Amino acid sequence: MDSGNMTQPERMQQSPIQHSPTKQNPMKHGPAQRDPMDGAMTNLQLSDLTRRFGRAEAVAGVSLEAGPGVFGLLGPNGAGKTTLLRMMATVIPPSSGDMRLLNRDPGSFGQRREIRRRLGYLPQNLGFYPGFTVVEFVEYFALLKDMPPSRVPTAVARAVERVGLGDKAKAKLRTLSGGMLRRVGIAQAIVNDPELLLLDEPTAGLDPEQRVAFRTLLREVGERASVVISTHLVEDVGAACTEVALMDRGRIVFRGSPAELIARGEGHGTGDAPLERGYSAVLTAARS
Amino acid sequence: MSGIDDEDRPFHGAGYEDTGFDDTGIGGVGAGGAGVNGVAHVDFHGSAVPDDVDLSRVWVNVAAHVWHTEPGWLELLARRLLRSPGLARALVTTPSLLLGWVLASAVVLITGVAVTQATGMPCFALLAPAVAAVGIAYAYGPGVDPAWELSCSLAVSDRMVLLVRASAVFGLNAAVGLIASAVVVQAKGLTFGWLVPMTAVSCLALAAATVTRSANVGSAIGLFCWGFTVLAGEAAGGGFGTAATDPVFFLPYLAVAVLSCAVVLYTTRIPKTGRPWTQGI
Repeated sequence: MDSGNMTQPERMQQSPIQHSPTKQNPMKHGPAQRDPMDGAMTNLQLSDLTRRFGRAEAVAGVSLEAGPGVFGLLGPNGAGKTTLLRMMATVIPPSSGDMRLLNRDPGSFGQRREIRRRLGYLPQNLGFYPGFTVVEFVEYFALLKDMPPSRVPTAVARAVERVGLGDKAKAKLRTLSGGMLRRVGIAQAIVNDPELLLLDEPTAGLDPEQRVAFRTLLREVGERASVVISTHLVEDVGAACTEVALMDRGRIVFRGSPAELIARGEGHGTGDAPLERGYSAVLTAARS
Repeated sequence: MSGIDDEDRPFHGAGYEDTGFDDTGIGGVGAGGAGVNGVAHVDFHGSAVPDDVDLSRVWVNVAAHVWHTEPGWLELLARRLLRSPGLARALVTTPSLLLGWVLASAVVLITGVAVTQATGMPCFALLAPAVAAVGIAYAYGPGVDPAWELSCSLAVSDRMVLLVRASAVFGLNAAVGLIASAVVVQAKGLTFGWLVPMTAVSCLALAAATVTRSANVGSAIGLFCWGFTVLAGEAAGGGFGTAATDPVFFLPYLAVAVLSCAVVLYTTRIPKTGRPWTQGI
């Protein structure tokens, strides 16, 4: 990533055109539900959600609500983070429980389609079409997200620039490195300016400089949308997330701010960083 | 087609009115005044930029214009017919509809016609179902689509893409086949007979590819079953062409096609029964 591209998210953040919650039109956009208790919008409502694969219960009764902001999902391998994210992305249905996304019911075909129009999703393992260029790939998914064709070129250009791939826009995907491909995946996720952005291990393969730029992007998107990010990297959570949940064996064993997670680790746990100590302290407590 | 109104989805509209940029390209650069008028005040030797010029936005509009490739006539036609730009793009990027595949299919079928004319053997009728089966197995599905997981979360459903692509491949092969059979004058009985087995074998290959998530497995199963049927027809004493020409087989072929379609519909469904999707909070 060259320095010019690296500064793009920062410029966007300072730009007067950046999106703010006040730009939304709740009536026309049909987005989040406003919580009457605190005035906050709720884009994500999960109630006692479970998902079984045969006898194995990958997600075991998760309840969660989230409004605009960056929400981090932490947990060890097999904790159920990816399964939870796939349900939120409407890729797989839950085995039981209730779910509302962007104040819509994903069980209804029409509403599910509306959700998907406003959804951005980066799977853990995103396959690529090696013969496509970066722009062709992002454009392909923009069209399949039902974006108006007249807006696609600008949206694609903006998304590609936001992930710092402007200089590779016309490069075939087969020629890109793993980190670049990950950024292409992020570009397709944000191309439709999603109201709900789900990212599964988005920083895997990114170098530290790219991760810093990516966190800036996350914070910017989180100003108006709900961003759920599943990761193993606690430093991403500390730097970008306003709220964090820790999953273990299909359940949420902690939910709070990164500062609260750090506080859990004071005098306890193992780890090199405060968040890591909080992470391990909560897991230890949950398993004991 | 799209349910997103332009003013309803402020992808990049927010703030653009301030400088007169439009969403479609670089036309707004000059029109907005910020570009042309602003340039007069820019000190290109320094770094001064007028306050009302956002260079990042200018660049995005320029990049959109430069990077974008206008869709071809085929895609534009597909957009009109399908009423969906997404489906149209999926259709024109179908692996088995790309030029190389189409040429290869044509070569195989032309060879079949030539051999049929030279020897009287119904080679064309025997090859057509196999070509269609391989094409459809590779048209779309979990086995051939690397972004299958992502496509399951998109507004244009993966099943619609599957349907459009499979129909297009089958239609293309059928059209080529009809032209070819018109050439094989001495085999009038074969002219339309191959269409029924072709339907059955294609559907079987598609179902196998979808269930196993492998285009190769789908092709192999389609080819194996068709080969087995042809050999069985020969063993029964009717000759190789029996499998494609004997009307006795047509009913079983149609049954196989219907069953295979049912399998595809079942495996690509999104469950609607039970607790999961049906209740709100």
